[in-house]
Amino acid sequence: MTIRFNKNFYNLKTVEKASQAYQGLADFKISQNKKVITVKLENIVPTAKRKIEDEFCNYVLAMMKQ
Amino acid sequence: MSSKNRRNIKTIKTQKQNGQLVISLNPKIYPLEAIYGACYVFVDRAYLFLDGDPKKEIKVFIEGKRKLDSKKLEELAGEFKNELLDYVLRTAIAKNTKKIRETIVEKALFSAFPSEETSEEEHIESDPLGIAVPWEEKYGEKK
Repeated sequence: MTIRFNKNFYNLKTVEKASQAYQGLADFKISQNKKVITVKLENIVPTAKRKIEDEFCNYVLAMMKQ
Repeated sequence: MSSKNRRNIKTIKTQKQNGQLVISLNPKIYPLEAIYGACYVFVDRAYLFLDGDPKKEIKVFIEGKRKLDSKKLEELAGEFKNELLDYVLRTAIAKNTKKIRETIVEKALFSAFPSEETSEEEHIESDPLGIAVPWEEKYGEKK
């Protein structure tokens, strides 16, 4: 599963912090280029598989506001 | 507002895409700070995602956490737009009153913690009654 965050709206530090909060649910691999932060989710806990992507995006967005 | 009028507004556009709504916003009217604020209010009810160009068009992807039919999804988007307007106003007020708020806090803090040494020194230096001036200087030599 791959999520691409637009760097105009999300920053790397926030995505990293959010991935730390979610580390018990999956393995996160974060990379970036000039425009996009790419997050690859692997070994996702079976119970979290359905919603982890959306919930993670929400979490990052909420952190951006703070 | 009639649906005809709504369609004529170019600053905000709503499209349906894969079971989610995409709200396109004009960043000149809806600042990013206000969009973050409105999104924050909805994170417990909807899944939200931002994309687009912050200078031209900001896209907010919104999808209900529960399965919503078309009508309910539209309602959710409508509520989001209202919240967005609320945040735009709050942001504008915060921006316009920033200086006065800072001044009030500054004055409150300054009066709460007076520096005794400084004020005493300042008081002596000003010497409004001329106490520090020697007698001779003030009234001339004794006769």
